[in-house]
Parts: sequence; C-alpha cells; structure tokens
Amino acid sequence: MSFRRLGLSVAIAAALISVPAIAGNKLIPAGTRIAVAKSTLTVQPASEWNKLGARPGRNAETWTLDGDALNDLTFYGGIDAGKPLFREADRKNRPLPTVSATMLITDIPALLESSYRIALGTAAMSIGTVEPVTFAGGKGVRFTYAFTRQGETLHRRGEGRGAMIGGRLYLITYEAPALYYFDRSVAAARQVADSARL
Amino acid sequence: MLTSVPVFAQEKTGLKPGFQLKPGTARIVLLRPSIKVGAQSTGGMFEPNADWTAQARENIAAALGLAQTSLGNIVGDYVEPGNADPAMLAEYQELFDAVAQSVIEYQFFPGNRLPTKKRDGQFEWSLGADVARLPGLAGADYALFVTTEDHFGSTGRKVLQVFAALARVPVTAGVHKGFAGLVDVRTGELVWLNADLQMGGDVRDAEGAQKRVRQLLEGFPGKPADAPVTAVSAAH
Repeated sequence: MSFRRLGLSVAIAAALISVPAIAGNKLIPAGTRIAVAKSTLTVQPASEWNKLGARPGRNAETWTLDGDALNDLTFYGGIDAGKPLFREADRKNRPLPTVSATMLITDIPALLESSYRIALGTAAMSIGTVEPVTFAGGKGVRFTYAFTRQGETLHRRGEGRGAMIGGRLYLITYEAPALYYFDRSVAAARQVADSARL
Repeated sequence: MLTSVPVFAQEKTGLKPGFQLKPGTARIVLLRPSIKVGAQSTGGMFEPNADWTAQARENIAAALGLAQTSLGNIVGDYVEPGNADPAMLAEYQELFDAVAQSVIEYQFFPGNRLPTKKRDGQFEWSLGADVARLPGLAGADYALFVTTEDHFGSTGRKVLQVFAALARVPVTAGVHKGFAGLVDVRTGELVWLNADLQMGGDVRDAEGAQKRVRQLLEGFPGKPADAPVTAVSAAH
C-alpha cells in the first residue's frame, strides 16, 4: 500500500472514530420483538430506546435513552470462545480477556470485571451480588456491579444478566451514573433483559 | 490551521423550549466552578498541572465575579454549610459534566442526534430533582454550573499534529472544554446550556479568563443584551 493510500485509509478510519456525525443512531420502537447484536438473540422492549450506530464490538450493540454515558444497555450476542467481549483498543499492550467455551456462569461477572478494568483503565470496578437466574432460556447469572471511569469520580452502577449457551456467551448489561440516572431507567432495562429469547 | 478536521455544523447552546427568565425574578446560585488545567502529552493523555489550575481558578473566579452583576438576576456564590459533605457537590458536578458531554455528542451534532431527542425543538436533560438536596441550594431557584477543562498541547503533541496533517489524519493539539448550565432546582431540569469542546481564552491569564467567562455566559437567559461578541467566538 502506498504512503498516500495508507494515509488516506488512516484518515478515513480516524474520521470514522472521531466524528460521531456518521454514526446513524436508530429508533427502537416499543412493542416489537427485535434481533440484537447481529445474533439470534431477540428482545421485546416495552418502551422506546435509541440504538447507537457505534457498536462496542462485532457481536454487540448499545441502546440508550440519553447517551451511553448516562444510560447504557448493551447486548453481547453470542460471543465465541477465544474472543473478547468488545473491541480491543490496544491488543498488543493491553489485551482483553477472552470468552472460554468451558466458562461457568460465575466466570461471567469476572470476565466483565477484568475487561472493564483493562478497557476503562480503572481499578475501581467491583462486582456486587451474584445469583443464578434463567436467562434467554438457559441457566444464567444475574449480577450487580459498580465502577468509575479513569480520571472521573462519578460513581456508576450496573446490572448484568448472562448465560453460556452452546459454548457462546450471551450477556445484557445496563449501567448508568448512580445519581439519578440508574434508578430512572433500570425498570425499562430489566424489562428488556427479561424479554430476551434465543 | 494545519489540521484537516472536517467542519460539521455544530450547535453550542441549548435552551428548554418555552423557558424564559425575566430579569430580576430569580435567585441563582453559582456553584464553585470545576476547573482543570494541564498539558496534553504527545500521546494525547492529560497531565494535570497544579500551578496552572490554581492560576485559572483565581482568574476565572475574578472574571465570574465581574460578570455576576450583569446577568440580570441575583447571582450569589454557593456557600456550603460547614457540616456538609463536599463529595456530594463534586458528584453532581461530574454528573453535570456527563450530561453536558452527552448534549454535545447526542444533541448539538444534528447528524448524531438520538431519534427520541429529535422531536420538535426538544431539549430534555436533567440532573434529577434530588439536586435540591444539595446543602447550599436552599431558597435558590436555579443553580449555575460552570466547568472548564484545558489541555494545552505539549511541543511533542504539536509536532505530531504537523506530521499527522501531512498524512491527512486529524489530530487536535489541546482541549479547551467549557460548559455553563442553568439547572432548575425544583425539577433538576437543565433549562439552558452553553457547551463547547474548543473554547477561546487562555484561562491561565486574567484577560484570557475573562474571554472564556464571556464565552461561557454568552446567551445567558435573562441577561440584558450583550455587546457584540464576534471577537470572542472566533477560534483561538
């Protein structure tokens, strides 16, 4: 590849990352069953959401009401063994942990915890309660977590539900600032997670 | 400018539809501004600088002090009762920053607007009604949040910018964020916001801080008509 072409493709890639105007966010209407995260996982939201054009990873997508920093409902639709939860920013220096086909359900919150610690550059990420639930028709886990992003002191709370089905990880997380935002849409987020089917 | 950053139409001010503030009708409390100043390393990381931050804090306080009397309403400084928990104010300031960033990203960039926020002239953003519980806001109608964050590009970063420009990669040297927002204490709603990621005025000197404060308070509701601010809004 010539320097010029390389330069151009780098510029395009950089533009795609840094310019949000290209993203194309879509309305998720209430009451319709919809497939998420480019997978066979479906959910049926009872209220409207926005799907962000920017995806956290190939088999992931994020819904929000006010922006992903204020309320973030992310779907991971069947992450294969050997793959990280989301896109790696720096695979060489800060590789993310990967899904394993033999993971136990209790390994799911641990995977999210270590992925966040690396990706967000924060030590302030902790798992709260962990309990078994049925998720998307499989034996799954429901857990709570709390974290702050690097360079911030704003406390965020999260809730996740996941299961290993057919050797793949299915996971739905909801997170928001602990102040006001978490409580405001946690019921809507739980309703979406409750409706998950494979 | 050497960079080839694409120019997109971007809004910088949001006002809740129908919101009006008549001069002399409201009691506004100016919260202690949140100010961060530092350098931007070659890799783009923020390196806080305590001296610059102290200078900026002093300069912006002085500039806000001058501006406060001309906002059309009584704007008093936030006084925290002695037994109050300072962490609560800091948490609300960080929440305000997160909301302001979201407004910039998902409302001010029309192409990236969230579909549920696209409906007619909508401007619905909130910190939650519990903001009224902040000690020091008793009796206030509105709280005025002010945040500035400046990352001055290091020499290495500026050199990178030049080389990146040759390869047509947009690299910005420096971040000069400024957010000013008026929150209705009774509802927690954000009724007015002025926010930009590249503001003018070097907050490390008195004159620059005045320029920054003028820009932050441009279009403040209920403020008597401004002198023309064209010189202020030009890129630094």
